[in-house]
Amino acid sequence: MVKQSQIQAIPTQLDALEDGSGMLRWTRTSIVEHSGPDALDLLHRLTTKELLSLPEGGTRRTVLTSDRGRVVDVFLVARTAVDQLLLVSDSDKPGRMISAIDYYTIIEEAELADRSDSHVRVTLVGPRSVSVVKSVLGFEPGLSTSSAVDFLGTSLFVFSDASRGVVWFDIVCPADVGDELAAAFNTAGSIPIDLEQFELFRIDHAIPGSDREYGEHANPIESGLLDLIDFDKGCYVGQEVIARLDAYDKVQRNLRVLESSAPIEPGTKLQFGSKPAGTVTSASSIRAGSGNFLALGLVRKAFAKHGTSLVVGDQQAVVR
Amino acid sequence: MLLSGLSRISPSTCYISNTIEGVTRITTVGEIDDNNVAEPLNTIQITEKAAGKVKQFAADKKMATFGLKVAVKGGGCSGLTYVLEIVDGPEADDKVIDSSGVEVYVPKKAFVFLAGTVLDFSDGLNGKGFEFTNPNAKRTCGCGTSFSV
Repeated sequence: MVKQSQIQAIPTQLDALEDGSGMLRWTRTSIVEHSGPDALDLLHRLTTKELLSLPEGGTRRTVLTSDRGRVVDVFLVARTAVDQLLLVSDSDKPGRMISAIDYYTIIEEAELADRSDSHVRVTLVGPRSVSVVKSVLGFEPGLSTSSAVDFLGTSLFVFSDASRGVVWFDIVCPADVGDELAAAFNTAGSIPIDLEQFELFRIDHAIPGSDREYGEHANPIESGLLDLIDFDKGCYVGQEVIARLDAYDKVQRNLRVLESSAPIEPGTKLQFGSKPAGTVTSASSIRAGSGNFLALGLVRKAFAKHGTSLVVGDQQAVVR
Repeated sequence: MLLSGLSRISPSTCYISNTIEGVTRITTVGEIDDNNVAEPLNTIQITEKAAGKVKQFAADKKMATFGLKVAVKGGGCSGLTYVLEIVDGPEADDKVIDSSGVEVYVPKKAFVFLAGTVLDFSDGLNGKGFEFTNPNAKRTCGCGTSFSV
């Protein structure tokens, strides 16, 4: 087993994600086909984002919450055809999304099919990813679009997603062409990214992760998913709770990047003096460019101000 | 044995259910001796007031034949939302229930969430319109149009 301190930052990978193009191949992710005349309307009624106006060929990321306002899953809705959607989530448990949507499918004409085993997901991150897609697949993807393209005689989908604040493309293709596609992206200049390096990038950019910053333990506002909530769309599952949290400023925690001089373990409790101050949700075992280790935490609002020093186990972490 | 398919919907009333060509028809039949009543609340009732309002809406629409579709769909603050619609007849998969002189059509998939429900109508300036009292609902949202089980 590799010790945390032995993992080093790889500048070429981090530079690729920041300024070039980095490629992440997901080992396990949720890819779900949702089809039928009522599929989009159903998701509109269930999730936080306004979806009825999603055009054919468009994408929008949304949050499925429980009736208590907790996050069940966060996924991209790609409208690949009029009555055909592809739902792509960072979660490695597709059954969670499927069972939640299926539970609410009563009189609707909508079918769910898990494509997580038959298909793979490759994500390109970074500003040069547009030209990589163009070079390999022959077109320049627009903002928040879904495109079906041919690659080696197989149809694949390219989804652009601006919801994480970085240039981000998800490519979903049948599993048997995944290697060829990755090789073609690499040849076109996209650098393969190790998971540890990607985690450092994700934490540095405060991008919330599945079952870390968001999940059944948190509501979407405190998880850093505020931009994925349309407060004027009307009812969806959990809307009343989430609207109340927002309207009365009842959100107790905020997502924050923490810096420390030694690695922190995810799950460690944060304290301010003797007072509970939150929980570490993700942590990088790689020293960042600043020389510090980075982590993400759900920090109680009273202690979430920039520069606040918190106790984490036997060391200090500073709120960035 | 009084009647096959007879069930109680309140302490003093019961209903008969018949299935003909795949459509289950349930009719409220009034007071029955408690000793002869079969197993439990397995229908949907609408009050006289709600029935009157349904008839009025149907008359406004100039519908000679009509029924009230009562269903449940996903969505709403608590997860499940009531659906009400005046329609001209049942669909193949609907249960048909006669209550207060109105035919109520309930999709079989939705019936499990609605069994035992009483539909009333609340009017006036502060009235809420059609109101559901659903024994299956564990939580309801503020406006009362959605619930969870």
